[in-house]
Amino acid sequence: MDDNLFKKLRILSDAAKYDVSCVSSGVERKNNTVGGIGNASAAGICHTWSQDGRCISLLKILLTNDCIYDCSYCLNRVTNPTERATFTPDEVAELTIQFYRRNYIEGLFLSSAVEKSPDHTMENIYRVLELLRYKYNFWGYVHVKVIPGASPMLVQKTGMLADRMSVNIELPTKESLKILAPQKKIENIIKPMSLINNEITRTIEDKKYFNNTPRFVPGGQSTQMIIGATPDSDKTILSLSQNLYEKFNMKRVFFSAYIPVISSPNLPAISSMPPLLREHRLYQADWLMRFYYFHSEELFTEIEPNLDLEFDPKMMYALRNIHKFPIEINKASYEELLRIPGLGVTSAQRIIRERKNAELSYDSLKKMKTVLKRAKYFITVKGKYYGNVNLEPEAIRKELTQQEIQKQLSIYDML
Amino acid sequence: MDYLYDGTFEGLLTCIYYHYKKEEATGIYSIESYQQNILNRSEEVESDVEKAKTVSDAINKKISREAYEDVYYCFLSSVTNKENIILDFLVFAFKYGRNTMNFYSHDKVLPIKEVSLKVSREVHGFLGILRFSDIEGILFARFSPDHDLLILLVDHFADRYKYEKFIIFDEKRNKACVYSDNYWEVKENINFDNLEYSNDEKRIHSLWKQYFNDLAIKERININNQFQFVPGRYRKNMVEFK
Ligand code: SF4
Repeated sequence: MDDNLFKKLRILSDAAKYDVSCVSSGVERKNNTVGGIGNASAAGICHTWSQDGRCISLLKILLTNDCIYDCSYCLNRVTNPTERATFTPDEVAELTIQFYRRNYIEGLFLSSAVEKSPDHTMENIYRVLELLRYKYNFWGYVHVKVIPGASPMLVQKTGMLADRMSVNIELPTKESLKILAPQKKIENIIKPMSLINNEITRTIEDKKYFNNTPRFVPGGQSTQMIIGATPDSDKTILSLSQNLYEKFNMKRVFFSAYIPVISSPNLPAISSMPPLLREHRLYQADWLMRFYYFHSEELFTEIEPNLDLEFDPKMMYALRNIHKFPIEINKASYEELLRIPGLGVTSAQRIIRERKNAELSYDSLKKMKTVLKRAKYFITVKGKYYGNVNLEPEAIRKELTQQEIQKQLSIYDML
Repeated sequence: MDYLYDGTFEGLLTCIYYHYKKEEATGIYSIESYQQNILNRSEEVESDVEKAKTVSDAINKKISREAYEDVYYCFLSSVTNKENIILDFLVFAFKYGRNTMNFYSHDKVLPIKEVSLKVSREVHGFLGILRFSDIEGILFARFSPDHDLLILLVDHFADRYKYEKFIIFDEKRNKACVYSDNYWEVKENINFDNLEYSNDEKRIHSLWKQYFNDLAIKERININNQFQFVPGRYRKNMVEFK
């Protein structure tokens, strides 16, 4: 390793850090090859947390930032005078192994700008995987980006060696894409998504008959969307996510708050703040769709195409649909319990489990460490309502805001 | 009768055995920490592998595998009074058998659940934050966990680094697990001082540190959050925080 490596690593990790996904979960694999190194843990493992509080699980870098495209929201675009660097596939593989041996990481997340052509870039991404899997015998987690426009054959053979692939949808609508990323054709994004999905299904089918069929991206595919660079509403964003989950069996749709780094008439001003809270709310809503049986449609009304920034989406849903409450703890189904603000999967399961022994009282809920501070406005226990105000959205809103203010006060008191 | 045991898991299970077969226990304590008192009689119990096995089989068969794990994890914790948390739990659990785990919030169940969760959280944490260095071809990791969980880490790394040699050293308890060629053993009363890193090794440390520092998005710095995830006491053995 030469000293140039420090510089390359600086440039190419800097360019990759805005990518949100750092997930290494969902694949369970033992180290089964002779001389092999590495395995994959289904639960996912965080190795450290950066100063912004994000979990670091994978070595997340670009293969190159030397791009031929000109997407207006991106620092790597061809017309932006920035320092360029390109790793050799060998350098990436070697760095991954050395970090992995020291338990710094679970594996690699390799992304890239489009250097020379989509195929040229995809070929190099494939080379990295080939080196890792066959030269180093590495069986840790690898997630790679698919370069839109790369040939299907290349995508196919890369997917046979990767744990996860992602094609970024980039923006929520075709129109936004046309304005901000004119060289990226929506077809070139959708086609590989559908190829990946078909290959996953095919290899799962084959595996039923031929035991040793390798699985195509066992960790599934994900995608990423930029939030706040365009005027698209939360409703547009979440119904697109819902579609992606349903059509392509996406494991995750990631949102990335646009951080204004470039001035352009089509983009928010440099001085504007990145919409971090909005991104957070979108993730919460996405969570409701994936684990709480919510449909994107349910979250919005004709006049409200956006999430509430003040309250989390479940609270927002409850306040917008107050006629569906209160819910009786001793009778509600699992799905209904999950609709109660402040009540999560663990609490819901515990309630179901424990009410088999005996009818639950308000005190027994408290003992279960169920968070009642917010839930109490939306439930009855043995028919009794425990909220200190009436079941009216405005009154509850006021109470909750009060709670927030008090929480902040007590933090200041401690200082 | 207060039973006093030698600090080993077998010893503790032997006390449970006597609780049922000889005389009810008023408490279980380690010999080292026991404070003699006038109210209770006490007896030192000698560890007995056979008796311990009878008890562990009974826990697995009559209660559940999960219960056994909770007992073991609680035993490895550094919670004072953990022996009596285990005793209380087992007395309750042998009565309710397979149903026990439905009483999560019961006074006799919740405490062991909480302790066991604490330990397994720390184990899971260390799978990520344990740091190895290559010292003359051997991967060496130093750590000081709150709970005595060294052996709960080994399987994971023995698979991951199957063809490497590695040592995981608990500097708080002066014991280390030494692994090579599909075989490992724990050595007690051991110390590793003055280990030197080669220049190549220092280079990799610097690459990692640089990567780690560059990764933070300036607009999103949130040190409090970071402290919650990686508490200060763990940082001294993590390259990126040195
Ligand atoms: S193709 Fe990717 S790297 Fe290139 S300008 Fe567009 S977003 Fe940036």
